Amino acid sequence: MAAHATLPFSCSSTLQTLSRTLSPRGALQLRRGFLRLPSHAALPRHPRPCCRRHVSASAAASPNGASADGKYDYDLFTIGAGSGGVRASRFASTLHGARVAICEMPFATIASDEHGGLGGTCVLRGCVPKKLLVYGSKYSHEFEESRGFGWTYETEPKHDWSTLIANKNTELQRLVGIYKNILNNAEVTLIEGRGKIVDPHTVSVNGKLYTAKNILIGVGGRPSMPDIPGIELAIDSDAALDLPSKPEKIAIVGGGYIALEFAGIFNGLKSEVHVFIRQKKVLRGFDEEVRDFVADQMALRGITFHSEQSPQAVTKSNDGLLSLKTNKETIGGFSHVMFATGRRPNTKNLGLEDVGVQMDKNGAIVVDEYSRTSVESIWAVGDVTNRVNLTPVALMEGGAFVRTAFGNEPTKPDYRAIPSAVFSQPPIGQVGLTEEQAVEEYGDVDVFIANFRPLKATLSGLPDRVLMKIIVCATTNKVVGAHMCGDDAPEIIQGIAIAVKAGLTKQDFDATIGIHPTSAEEFVTMRNATRKIRKKSTDQVHNAILKRNFTWHTGWHTWKIYFLRIICFELDLSLLRVFYMFY
Amino acid sequence: MARKMLVDGEAPVADGGQYDYDLFVIGAGSGGVRGSRTAASFGAKVAICELPFHPISSDWQGGHGGTCVIRGCVPKKILVYGASFRGEFEDSKNFGWEINGDINFNWKTLLEHKTKEIVRLNGVYQRIITNAGVTMIEGAGSLVDAHTVEVSQPNGSKQRYTAKHILIATGSRAQRVNIPGKELAITSDEALSLEELPKRAVILGGGYIAVEFASIWRGMGAEVDLFYRKELPLRGFDDEMRAVVAGNLEGRGIKLHPGTNLTELSKTADGIKVVTDKGEELIADVVLFATGRKPNSERLNLQAAGVEVDQIGAIKVDDYSRTSAPSVWAVGDVTNRINLTPVALMEATCFSKTVFGGQQVKPDYRDVPCAVFSIPPLSVVGLSEQQAREEAKGDILVFTSSFNPMKNSISKRQEKTVMKLVVDAETDRVLGASMCGPDAAEIMQGIAVALKCGATKATFDSTVGIHPSAAEEFVTMRTVTRRVGPVSKPKTSL
Repeated sequence: MAAHATLPFSCSSTLQTLSRTLSPRGALQLRRGFLRLPSHAALPRHPRPCCRRHVSASAAASPNGASADGKYDYDLFTIGAGSGGVRASRFASTLHGARVAICEMPFATIASDEHGGLGGTCVLRGCVPKKLLVYGSKYSHEFEESRGFGWTYETEPKHDWSTLIANKNTELQRLVGIYKNILNNAEVTLIEGRGKIVDPHTVSVNGKLYTAKNILIGVGGRPSMPDIPGIELAIDSDAALDLPSKPEKIAIVGGGYIALEFAGIFNGLKSEVHVFIRQKKVLRGFDEEVRDFVADQMALRGITFHSEQSPQAVTKSNDGLLSLKTNKETIGGFSHVMFATGRRPNTKNLGLEDVGVQMDKNGAIVVDEYSRTSVESIWAVGDVTNRVNLTPVALMEGGAFVRTAFGNEPTKPDYRAIPSAVFSQPPIGQVGLTEEQAVEEYGDVDVFIANFRPLKATLSGLPDRVLMKIIVCATTNKVVGAHMCGDDAPEIIQGIAIAVKAGLTKQDFDATIGIHPTSAEEFVTMRNATRKIRKKSTDQVHNAILKRNFTWHTGWHTWKIYFLRIICFELDLSLLRVFYMFY
Repeated sequence: MARKMLVDGEAPVADGGQYDYDLFVIGAGSGGVRGSRTAASFGAKVAICELPFHPISSDWQGGHGGTCVIRGCVPKKILVYGASFRGEFEDSKNFGWEINGDINFNWKTLLEHKTKEIVRLNGVYQRIITNAGVTMIEGAGSLVDAHTVEVSQPNGSKQRYTAKHILIATGSRAQRVNIPGKELAITSDEALSLEELPKRAVILGGGYIAVEFASIWRGMGAEVDLFYRKELPLRGFDDEMRAVVAGNLEGRGIKLHPGTNLTELSKTADGIKVVTDKGEELIADVVLFATGRKPNSERLNLQAAGVEVDQIGAIKVDDYSRTSAPSVWAVGDVTNRINLTPVALMEATCFSKTVFGGQQVKPDYRDVPCAVFSIPPLSVVGLSEQQAREEAKGDILVFTSSFNPMKNSISKRQEKTVMKLVVDAETDRVLGASMCGPDAAEIMQGIAVALKCGATKATFDSTVGIHPSAAEEFVTMRTVTRRVGPVSKPKTSL
């Protein structure tokens, strides 16, 4: 702000306040609660790239690095062939000529200590099957929409669950095959079985020992359920993706993204859906307005929310139906009770304790900024480290690990402005800070909001709406967060994420021409701030100046200053600038 | 901004009595409404004239909202939505949906709902104008001199108004080609309001309007034959993407007739007989001419004020939208610069800022994104590969991605989504992006923000993907597809 230069000398204390509150402090901050990076004190080691660039893939006899000739079977042994593990193995081999092996358990749709499958959670029990079911379940809404556009049906469309599940599973098998090919083509040795770490350079699979210069753990996470009576009657998300029949009436416990996505899926397929959340609102950690908005929209589509209810027991009655008892009520008649109450890192029985790999209280492997564990030769990426548990983040971590360990180029994954989506119906896309986080981080924040009925809804007559929010740091004018709930939100936010990542300002958004008619064009046509939050600086600056001036002047002067303050506020002027002009 | 007011101390208000208005706007479409509203917000006294509302435009009919709202973007998009459902029904089968019995499409229902929505928007526009304190006048405006507008009514009554500045924003109108039987054909105006849905439609033209109507009618169940002069539709777009669109249209059942013109239309008992320059004959219920649009400048009596037009009738303007008469300005399609609603909005805002806001602002035509709402849609921003090579000094890196969208893995629809980034090899700047596939228009908007601000390929790569989405491909294109050098001459074979 130009105000710095024009400040009168006597305002130096104010200047300090101003500088402190207005100076851009870092860029985007990490999402609170998402990251549990280890402290530097716990892991003081700097990364030392352990291998030199080694391009010849055929020189199988000589492992990477200068000192380790023939000492190890592999340069890298990866445990777990999910998103992170496959990415790292493939890149280490193809980009740096490392000799790589990867182990993974046999395929099953439901994960256990003996079963997993190539592709990991994302492909087999997460993103992919979930999205396929979201696609399948969304049609009922589209059938409804189509009526307003002139379409009629002789008979009501009916859904056959087994067709969907069979086609989904065929697709998953195809993807497993693709992953196998990816690894084969990258000349990564694939070993089927459960890997266990024996020492810092040795992994045992099915009783056979393999030595490696580096070991990478990418074993992911698994759903966790609370220990309450009757919990064995409930299902988790693994099972929900592969049920033999469609639930007639389902209780979903949890308010996170998994709970909301499944609520949308089953509601779309015409199950009766009840969601039980412990808090007042769904989606803790998301923008408050988005949290309210998505719950409202889902309720309008027929989902019943039970807020501030903790599950206490699941019981089965004689007719085979389930009841859920909470701290407030007991609701019965459920064909299924699903718990979407968090996920836990798969760190049990990996031999981690024995080799001294440090874990946190949730069982997540503690790593430094380069994904190195407390054991120098052992690394970990993805959900098992419980940083930001998203496939693209695991890919980023895997890529950064390879550059660090094999590319002689220490690379930290960059956790700023990671976009993410919730495939609820309607879906959410978001990148950067929530309004609440931005206010905490920057104090002065401009919030731009568009809450509108999309063109499609005006024709369909359905109560669908779209919410968009841009959060701007008022001092730098940088867009620090963008949020959307409505059709195509995840697709729309991706491009916006590039802009946010690039540190673009609100003016940059405004200078962009809209694509008409789309929903997305709202993001570049929000001209007037819905609210300007001046939490710290304005009040502090104003108050500081007023206080000072109240002591200087009395009577008329006091009123003049007060009056000026109001004008400044109305005209959005820098108070200091006006002061300078008047005095 | 407020700061400016303090610095210059000038508050633009109605000029003291010399003129009736500070600004008189002819035409209440996107550009005119934006221009009048923003001028009023700077304190100007503004009037705007517009013809009475009718879905089909003529010399005496128009309506508040203009082409975009009444005969363009909005009704077209509504029909595209309606037509897209057919593909959804097909796709839903493999997702387990059983639709026994017939699915019927009732064109009249859609038409009725569409008209209702457009009438609503027409009202919204009138309210916007009124709320901005702008005087609304109904009738056909024309120039008397550089400061006088005459507004005439169909009954012959006329009224004159003087103004310090005049803004012309009368837009454009669909044009017909001159062949025997041309009166049997319709334009996009009528196509948006047909009484009956055609069973057999013939479309002449390769531009975005032709392609969009082909998709609309096909989606609603008609047999569609699309005739165009070039080898590929959508001249001016990236050649590779043009081929993708052509493939998709064919894949959805539209018959393409590249390099073919229509020579004659005649009426028969069975329908309209269409003869092509290749000697083919076919019968159609409807023949649509989507053969370009012409600026609405003829009835404005422009020469009275010395306002010049080019050979197609577009009003000539300078960088600030000022015509050859200093007090007369023009924005939007009537100037035939980039004929898009958001561009008319930009031009109008810049005009108001320049004339009434005390800031000289030129519209910025770089990196204007746009979309073709074919099914599936095409959307682009920045340069095509061909344009990039023509403008480049050094090499161009082309990244392409052609993939089966996840939905198709179950639906088994054989239609690839194609994305493309054109990057300057030396500066790493992303010069252009294109996409053809579901949601392309929605996806491209954010990409356009990044492009507008000179984002590099490295910035794209450093952005984390949203998984699973189609858009994430744009940030995960790691390997360059080809490296090409600059060319001096554009290829013309297409």
